[in-house]
Amino acid sequence: MGKRLKGFDVTVKDVSRAYGNFKALDDVSIEIRKGEFFSLLGPSGCGKTTLLRIIAGFDSPDNGVVLLDGKDILPLPPDKRQVNTVFQSYALFPHLSVYENVAFPLRLRKVPAGKLDAKVRDYLHLVQLDNHMDKKPSMLSGGQKQRVAIARALINEPSVLLLDEPLSALDAKLRQNLLVELDHLHDQIGITFIYVTHDQSEALSVSDRIAVMNQGKVLQIGTPYEIYESPATDFVARFIGETNLFPAVVKQCDPYEDYYMTTLDIPALGTEIKVTDYDNLAVGQHVSFTVRPEKLKITGHQPTRVGKDINLFRGIVEEPIYSGFQSKYYVSLENGTVIKVIQQHANYMDEGPDIDWKDQVFVSWSAEDGYIVEVVDS
Amino acid sequence: MNSHMQEKRGRRLGITYSAPMGLWLTFFFLVPLCIIILYSFLKKGLYGGVEWEFTLTAYRQMLNPNFMRVFLRTLWVAALSTVITITLALPCGYAMARSRHQVMWLALVIIPFWTNSLIRIYAWIAILSSEGFVNEALKALGVIGESLPLIYNQGAVITVLIYMYIPFAILPLFTTIDKFDFQLLEAARDLGASKPESIFKVLIPNIRSGIITAVIFTFIPIFGAYTVPLLVGGKDSYMIGNIIVDQVTKTRNWPLASAFSLVITVVSTIGVIWMMTSTASERARLKAPAQVVDANGGIS
Amino acid sequence: MSTSPKVKSAAVAAKLKKQPKKMRLEPSRLVEAPKGTPGPYKLPKNQMFQDHRKFGFSNIMLVLVIAFLFMPLFVVVTYSFNASRGMRWTGFSLEWYYKLFFDSKELWRAFANSFVIAITSSIVATFLGSLSAIGIKWYKFKSRSYIQVVSFLPMVLPEVIIGISMLIFFTAVKIPLGMFSIFVAHTTFNLPFVFLLVSARLEEFDFSVIEAARDLGATERQTLMKVIVPSIMPGVMSGLLMAITMSLEDFVITFFVSGPGSTTLPLYVYSMIRYGVSPVINALSLVLILGIMLLALGFRRFLKTIAASS
Ligand SMILES: Nc1ncnc2c1ncn2[C@@H]1O[C@H](COP(=O)(O)OP(=O)(O)OP(=O)(O)O)[C@@H](O)[C@H]1O
Ligand SMILES: [Mg+2]
Repeated sequence: MGKRLKGFDVTVKDVSRAYGNFKALDDVSIEIRKGEFFSLLGPSGCGKTTLLRIIAGFDSPDNGVVLLDGKDILPLPPDKRQVNTVFQSYALFPHLSVYENVAFPLRLRKVPAGKLDAKVRDYLHLVQLDNHMDKKPSMLSGGQKQRVAIARALINEPSVLLLDEPLSALDAKLRQNLLVELDHLHDQIGITFIYVTHDQSEALSVSDRIAVMNQGKVLQIGTPYEIYESPATDFVARFIGETNLFPAVVKQCDPYEDYYMTTLDIPALGTEIKVTDYDNLAVGQHVSFTVRPEKLKITGHQPTRVGKDINLFRGIVEEPIYSGFQSKYYVSLENGTVIKVIQQHANYMDEGPDIDWKDQVFVSWSAEDGYIVEVVDS
Repeated sequence: MNSHMQEKRGRRLGITYSAPMGLWLTFFFLVPLCIIILYSFLKKGLYGGVEWEFTLTAYRQMLNPNFMRVFLRTLWVAALSTVITITLALPCGYAMARSRHQVMWLALVIIPFWTNSLIRIYAWIAILSSEGFVNEALKALGVIGESLPLIYNQGAVITVLIYMYIPFAILPLFTTIDKFDFQLLEAARDLGASKPESIFKVLIPNIRSGIITAVIFTFIPIFGAYTVPLLVGGKDSYMIGNIIVDQVTKTRNWPLASAFSLVITVVSTIGVIWMMTSTASERARLKAPAQVVDANGGIS
Repeated sequence: MSTSPKVKSAAVAAKLKKQPKKMRLEPSRLVEAPKGTPGPYKLPKNQMFQDHRKFGFSNIMLVLVIAFLFMPLFVVVTYSFNASRGMRWTGFSLEWYYKLFFDSKELWRAFANSFVIAITSSIVATFLGSLSAIGIKWYKFKSRSYIQVVSFLPMVLPEVIIGISMLIFFTAVKIPLGMFSIFVAHTTFNLPFVFLLVSARLEEFDFSVIEAARDLGATERQTLMKVIVPSIMPGVMSGLLMAITMSLEDFVITFFVSGPGSTTLPLYVYSMIRYGVSPVINALSLVLILGIMLLALGFRRFLKTIAASS
C-alpha cells in the first residue's frame, strides 16, 4: 500500500488531571510535530495512559487545552476526533472476525460494500494478515492480535495514531520485530505516532523525540540522543540506561582551555572529581553527578595516560558478570562505594575475562564523559 | 496399566459421589414428570386421581376456546412482562457492574428478592387496593373522590410480575456484564461509534448469553405464574397456572392438569435447549476449536 | 537552587545536533526500573475506562429500579406502626407488634415448621449437591450428562409444574402429605441450585492441587477433607444460604405438597391474605425484612457467587 496519509501536529498545553487529591497529570505541556514518531516514556503510573486518553477523548482534563492541527479538540467526543488508538490489551471485538473487526469503522460510516471490501483487504495486507481474515480474535497469537488492532485503528485514516504500550504483552523477540515493523509502517504512511511505553529501549530505538515523564510531570523532551547523553534530571539519568549516580556539591567552576572545567565534591567517592562543559553552575550548589558505566575504563594496571581531565580510582572487583558481548563489573572503591563498569568485548578476549573476582583494578573516566544533573526527586 | 486402574477407580468414585443426587432427582423429579405424561393420557377419576384407561380426552379438552384464550393471554402477558423486565434490568446490570459498590447494589437487589414473595404481593395489594395506600393518599390530597380501580386487572398483574421477576433478570445480566471488557466500548467509540452504537454493536452482542439467561429466567416462571394473577388479577387476567391449579383443586381433572403441565414443560425445555445451544455456540465462537469441547453448557 | 544545569554548553549542544536522529540501542543499555518509582497501578476492571464525572442514564435507571423494589416494602413497614387497621394513617402504635409476638400462636407454629424444613432440606441438599458437583467435575463417567440435565431442568420449570407433579407423585406412591413430603419437595428444588453454585466454584479450582496433595502423600479421603472441601467452602456456603432462603420463601410448591398440620409461614401468610388481612402481616414483614438484611450482611462475601447462579 503506497498511500501516504497526512499527519497533524498535536499541542498539549498546561494539561492537569487529578483523581481526588492525586495529580495524575500536573501541568503537562508537549508539542508534537506533524508526522513525528513521538514517545511518552515513564515508569508505571506516571500518567502516560491518562494523557493518551485525554488526547483520544476518553477522559477530559481539569484544565489546559489540547490542539489538533491548531484546533481545540477537547469539546469533541472520541468518535469525532481524527485520532485513533491501539490499545494495550488490543480491545479486539471478540464477537467479530478479524475481517469484521477491521471493517467495523467502515460499517459504522456505511461505506459501500465494494469499497469496504477493497479497503479492508488493503489494510489487512498492510499488516500481513491476509490469511487470517476469517478467524476470531481468540484464535490469533498475541502478535497477530496486535496487528489487527493496528489495521483497525488505521483504516479510518486518522491523522494521529495513539499507541498505548502496544507491545507490552508480547515476548521480547516478537517485540523487537514488531517494533521495527511499526517503525517501517510509520515511515510508510507518514502520520503522527504517539507511542506510550515504559520500556526505554523501545522508546530510544524508534522515536524521533521522547518525553520522559514521572509522577504526572514532563521532565525532559528531546531526541533519544539528547535524553541519553544529556539527561536533565537525576531521575531521567537513572531511568534511561544504566548509570552511576552520586550526590555532589559544586566546588569550583573555571574556564579550562576552550571550555569549562567543574570540580565536584562527592562524599560517596570520598574525593573530588572533574567534569567539563558546564558554565552555569554556582559554587556550593547541590547537584547530582552521573556517569554511564560503559564510559568507564577498567584496567588491571595503572593507566598510562593520566591527565588533568581523567578521574582515576582504585578498587576491587566485587562481582564480574560476563554476558558474551560484554562484561559488567561491580567495583568496590577504596572507601567502600560500589561503582558499575561495563566493558564491551569488541575483539576476541579483549580485556574481558582477564579481570576476575577480587582482582585489584583501576577505574577511570574522562571529565568529558561525566554529567551534572539537576536534583528533582530522590 | 496403572493409569487405567486409576481411571476405573475415578469412574467409581465419580459415580459414588454423584449417585445420591442423581437418584434423588430421578426419583423425586423425573419420575413425577413421567407420571404427569402418563396421567395426561388417562381418564379422569371421579374425586381426583385417574382411571386406568387410555384416552386423549385431556388433549381434546385443552382445545376448548376458553383455554386457548387463556393460553394466548398467558403468552402475551409473559412476553410483554419479559420485554419490559429485560429493558429495565439491562441498564441496572450495567450500572451495577461498573459501580465501585457492587456488593451494596447486589444486596439492595437481593434483599427484596429474598423477602417472602407473599409478603411482597401483599404489599402490592396494600398499595393498589381500593382502600390501599395510593387511593387513600389521593383521597386525602383531594385529587380523587372515588377509589381508582388499580387492582384486579391486567395492568396490576403485569406490574407485580415485573416487580417479582426483575431480580431474576438483573442478577444474570450483572454477572455477565461484570465479565465484559469495558475497554471494548472505548475502542468502539474511538473507531467512530456513537454511544448508542457502541452499546448495540459491541456490548449487547458480547453479553448475549446473559440476556438469554435473563429472558429464560423471567419468561418461564412468568409463563407458569400462579400466585400473582390469583391475588392481584381479576377474571380477565387468569393465566395457565391458575387453570392448572383449578383443575387439580376444584374440578379435580388431573389428566387435564397433567396435559397443561406437559405443554408448559415442553415449552420450557425448548427454551432451555435454545439457551444451552446458543451459549455453547457462543463459547465455540469465542474459543479456539481445540478448546470447544464442553458439552456442559451450564448457565453460570 | 538558582541555576539548573540543563544541557551542556554550546559546544556540546552543537555536537549533539550532528548526531544521527535515531540510534539503535545496544542491549547493554537495558536497565532495571529505577528504585522508588511507584509500582504498577491497577484499577479494578469495572472502573477503568469510564468518565467518573458523568451521572449516566444507567445509574439513574438503577436507582429508580431499586426504589421500585423497595417502595412496597417501605409502605408495608410504615403501616405496621399505624394505630388503625386500614391504610389511612391514624397514629403511631406498636399494637401489631404486640399481637405478632404475643398473640399469634399459629403464626409462630407455622414459622417453626418453615424453619425446621428450611434447615433440614437445605443441609441435605447442600451435602448431596456438593458431593455430586465434585464427582461430576473431577471424574469422568458415562452418566455425567444425564445428571447435568436432570439437575438443570428443575431450575427452569415453573413451580406450578413441579408442585403438581410432586402432588400427583406423592399421591400415587401413597406418601402422606405433611412435613415429610414438604421436606422432600424442598430438597428437590434446592439440589440444583447448590449443585450449580458448587460447580461454578469448582470451575475456578486448580486441578493440579489435588495431584500435588496426592503426591505429597495424602489419601483420597484426606485430599477431600483437607484440600477440596476448604477450597469449595464459599460455593457450599452460598449454596446453603440460597437453599435456606428459597425454602423459607417457597409458597407454590409447598401449597401442593402440604397436608394438615404442616402449614408453613408462606402458607399461613397466604391464608391471612385470602381470609382476612390483619396488620400483623405488616409487622411480620418488618421482622422478616430485618432477618433477610442481617443474612445478606452476614453473607455479603458470597453475594456475588449467589448472583451468578440466579
Ligand atoms: N480512574 C482513576 N481513578 C483514580 N486514579 C486513577 C484513575 N486512573 C488513573 N489513576 C491514577 O493515575 C495515575 C496515572 O495512571 P496512568 O494509567 O496514566 O499511568 P501509566 O503511566 O499509564 O502507567 P502504566 O505504565 O502502568 O500503564 C495512576 O497512578 C493512578 O493512581
Ligand atoms: Mg498505561
